[in-house]
Amino acid sequence: MSRRHALTVDYDGKLVTLNAAVGLLRRRNVPVHDLLLGPGPGERGRRLSAMIESDSPTAERIAQLFRKLVGVHDASARPADDAVARELALVHLRPPAAQYAELYDVCQLYQAEVIEESAEGVVVQAHGPATFVQSCIRALERFGLVDVARSGASVSLPGASGAPTPQPEVIVP
Amino acid sequence: MTGDPQPGAAPLSGAHLTCRILEEEGVSVLFGYPGGAIMPFYHALPEFPSLRHILVRHEQAAAHAADGYARATGRPGVCVATSGPGATNLVTGLATAYMDNSPVVAITGQVARPMMGRDAFQETDIVGITLPITKWSVLVEDITELADVLREAFHVARSGRPGPVLVDIPKDVQNQRIAYEPRTRAPGLVTLPPAPAPDLDAAVRLLERAERPLILAGHGVILGDAFAELRAFAEASGIPVITTLLGISGFPEDHPLHLGMPGMHGEVHVNRAIQQADLLVAVGMRFDDRVTGNTAGFARHAKVIHLELDPSEIGKNVPVDVPLVGDVKRLLPALTARLAPRDHGGWLAAIHAERRERAEHYRGGLSPEGILRAMHEATGGRVNVVADVGQHQMWVAKLFPYRRPNQHFSSGGLGAMGFAVPAAMGVWLARPDEPVWAVSGDGGFQMNMQEMATMVQEKLPIKLAIFNNGYLGMVRQWQQFFHGRRYSQTPIWSPDYVKLAEAYGIPGWRVERAEGVAGAVEAALRADGPALVEFVIEQEANVFPMIPPGATLSDVIESPPPEAVPA
Repeated sequence: MSRRHALTVDYDGKLVTLNAAVGLLRRRNVPVHDLLLGPGPGERGRRLSAMIESDSPTAERIAQLFRKLVGVHDASARPADDAVARELALVHLRPPAAQYAELYDVCQLYQAEVIEESAEGVVVQAHGPATFVQSCIRALERFGLVDVARSGASVSLPGASGAPTPQPEVIVP
Repeated sequence: MTGDPQPGAAPLSGAHLTCRILEEEGVSVLFGYPGGAIMPFYHALPEFPSLRHILVRHEQAAAHAADGYARATGRPGVCVATSGPGATNLVTGLATAYMDNSPVVAITGQVARPMMGRDAFQETDIVGITLPITKWSVLVEDITELADVLREAFHVARSGRPGPVLVDIPKDVQNQRIAYEPRTRAPGLVTLPPAPAPDLDAAVRLLERAERPLILAGHGVILGDAFAELRAFAEASGIPVITTLLGISGFPEDHPLHLGMPGMHGEVHVNRAIQQADLLVAVGMRFDDRVTGNTAGFARHAKVIHLELDPSEIGKNVPVDVPLVGDVKRLLPALTARLAPRDHGGWLAAIHAERRERAEHYRGGLSPEGILRAMHEATGGRVNVVADVGQHQMWVAKLFPYRRPNQHFSSGGLGAMGFAVPAAMGVWLARPDEPVWAVSGDGGFQMNMQEMATMVQEKLPIKLAIFNNGYLGMVRQWQQFFHGRRYSQTPIWSPDYVKLAEAYGIPGWRVERAEGVAGAVEAALRADGPALVEFVIEQEANVFPMIPPGATLSDVIESPPPEAVPA
């Protein structure tokens, strides 16, 4: 049954490896909802996180295909419900002066913060699960939405170490 | 140039170092074509006489020839090309090697680093282009990395599930100088994910319970050099053996347990056996759609044991009950050792009862089976057969009696027309004591027939067989069956192949009747160098049986529909 899966790919940080990784998602025709790139758990490594739509065996096979790529240290795929996924949004607003108090109330409700305030307006930082962030953005829209920057989901999977995969051994029964 | 580096020895150029590493990796033959960005390499090459370079007439042929060499030896085949068009011409050959898990190392020249990214003359992002069709594509940006990258390239190509690797070397890196250093680190690149320990007991339980089991043997048997192990397993278990297109010659076809080829053009009794089986033991095969047909109706009564090196293949196309991930050469004996002998004689007899006689008739009696029989008899079976892609490929797969390991070569996964002629050069260079036939259709032959010049210049005695029916036959057959006989762009004109061969200095024969087959085949084999035989076969001959695309193995066409009209 197709459902959302969280995929993490820890790789060596080289552009050519990222190119191969994105190419793999494209070539295997994997529906991707979010794609996020950031520092990985290793010293120089990077982590590609993605939310993909797939059944569980296919998601696991995709992770295995990633593990075969030269430059990929580790890859894991789990149902999204089993992962911790958080998103960050920066919401640029230009509210009328009369609505500032109400804006702060909404921010408090969503545990969001006003991180910048200027003549150009305010920037609110919201974070949390994607649905929560989406709800927050909707609640903020009426305060004069100028721009929204969303990070996509950053994912942590239980058991995904980020350590280089050991050299595989041929199974000797 | 071989030998340990002398203390204080002069630094090598990147080009010399590349040649040095090729020697170190045991390369003796490489296929290539020079050009601007690879000129330093070609400048260094004459100083390495142990490296025999075959000058092809098109880089695609270099990649196919390297592939053929790799398939015949199990060792990486090497091809070389310049940047830009030289490199892009390798692409079809690399994709072929990738699909069929053939270890090929491609070395390409690249424009000098200061010119990269500026759309320089003959600059192409060949690393980017080949990422999806190689195990590893790498640009060497630093001379200090060159030696180890080349060593890793050979390691990656041949380790785990083999495949092609491309190493792109900018011209200025080829010209930089560096001291030769012996291997400083063990190959570290991972090429296969780890897998759980195989559950042999679960497999044995299924084997013990099975009443109608089958072995489906694929290319993994050949790649894994597991011929004896497969035979021992089949004989101990008494299970009949089916060989996929790339598994052909992985099991002797005169063995009483051998059944034939499955799938789209598989024999009726083979496909029916699959549909009736209660257990499939898949050995080094990947349930390609040409084998399974519509998977929804594939072997619905069968449990599946899948012996496979690559865990990402498990369950990809067909659900698997017991995955056994590992090297089939080790897994098969482990399984055999746990089996009590069984006899499936009744099941085997029931399968053979479904066997059909071929019913086709041909003008002049010039049949594919007659031609292939002559090739077999003229050599006593001590011959390598390299097939191109199309109708003749199916005839070569089904009608030649392969009794020796790894004597059949074909572009299976990619299905690249033009493969046979250049790949045969690689096969012969790997096995110069055995005759090699390149069997092509008139379409595929014209895709790489320029390689006759290579054969003459390099003295490669390839025997070229052309099954000429004046059509792109397999496409025409589909048009006949599924497109109301609208033969759109499939009639294909050919030159006079005998005269063409003569123009290259190659003897040629044209055969139009059955009586001429044996004489022409024997004359071609007697010729010192390359030789060509054109067989003018029935124009609208078809390959039967056939499973329509998208249908199940039960939906077999055994003779042409009267006037099929497309839906």
